[in-house]
Amino acid sequence: MSSGWRHQPERGSRGLMRLLVFITLWVGRPAARALLYPICSYFLLFSGGAQRTSRDYLRRILKRPPSWKDVFRHFHAFASTIHDRVYLLSGRHRYFDIRTEGASALHTILAQNRGCILLGSHLGSFEVLRAQGIFDHKLPITVIMHEATASNLNAVLHSLHPEIRDRIIPPGTADTMLAVKERLDRGEIVGILGDRLFNDEKGMTCEFLGTPRMFPEGPFLLAALLQVPIVLFFGLYQGGRQYDLYFEPLADSIHMNNARRSETLRPWVERYVSRLEHYCRLSPYNWFNFYDLADHARPPRPAV
Amino acid sequence: MALPSQPQIRADDALEQELATLIVEALRLEILPEHIDPSSALFGEGLGLDSIDMLEIALLVSKRYGVELRSENKAALASLRALANHIGQQRIR
Repeated sequence: MSSGWRHQPERGSRGLMRLLVFITLWVGRPAARALLYPICSYFLLFSGGAQRTSRDYLRRILKRPPSWKDVFRHFHAFASTIHDRVYLLSGRHRYFDIRTEGASALHTILAQNRGCILLGSHLGSFEVLRAQGIFDHKLPITVIMHEATASNLNAVLHSLHPEIRDRIIPPGTADTMLAVKERLDRGEIVGILGDRLFNDEKGMTCEFLGTPRMFPEGPFLLAALLQVPIVLFFGLYQGGRQYDLYFEPLADSIHMNNARRSETLRPWVERYVSRLEHYCRLSPYNWFNFYDLADHARPPRPAV
Repeated sequence: MALPSQPQIRADDALEQELATLIVEALRLEILPEHIDPSSALFGEGLGLDSIDMLEIALLVSKRYGVELRSENKAALASLRALANHIGQQRIR
């Protein structure tokens, strides 16, 4: 189930989180990063489900049977990006070496006072962009994000910088998309992670790394209904202090045939999936979907 | 001479029916408009609509009745009846 991720109890207590935040902010990132090794080792030993998903993915992307070192590296990359949120969301993003490619795609649209959908994924980190965009460039960017995904961590992190807390729209409520429309109408950017289905969202099956997987139709349907452009975004963690941000224009406007919606949206979803695969190959250990095995065979929404 | 009695149809009932037909057509729902319970939820459990369906309803209502539904009017999206009441109060066409 796509909702499985959210139903996973977040491991680690709030006390441990606070300790990690304290060490990071008062002793330093290297000291806190040393703690990521025992934390990842614990996960390697005790999280069967996540490890199976990781191995399954790594086998397909690396095209060889993954070793335990590969899985550890995968977990470590994930832990690093989660940990770096402490730095990023507290306004210490300048500590990082952030390289950006293709941002003109975004600036061209903003200069025309048009809103745009920034379509990302759980490959790498969206937080680097939120931090740099909101703190440095005063980008009007709001992300559709489930706060409950990491309630422990978010509770701690949001106490660091409320400015970034207000830039979230929770998904799956009756007025989610109305709130999104209001931002877009004002010429703002709305970030959506396009690789995971929320509950009853409409999705379509696409070939992803040689296996069928469900991808949401929502972002593309939204772009078509509101006639807004889509820009792709990938924020890849490259180890150490380095993050590489990539922007690519995907669609200036999507024209949809109302009688054959899925059919007209399909090429756009497939284009997104193929770019996602491209960036997976570029940074294989950045794929942070650990609980979505059952997604592969998810049936479409039953008719009312 | 007394007029023969007619079944009374309230304006809101007519609007509810009109909305039901609009929604069923626009969202291509596999249910007859008259089978939608005006008091049951449109979103989620009730009629099974998702957040984008709700946006489509808002676009439809704006085009047809000139009523802008905003996220702060969330209550108007609760049911067909709530929506009809809201439009009845706000409509300009």
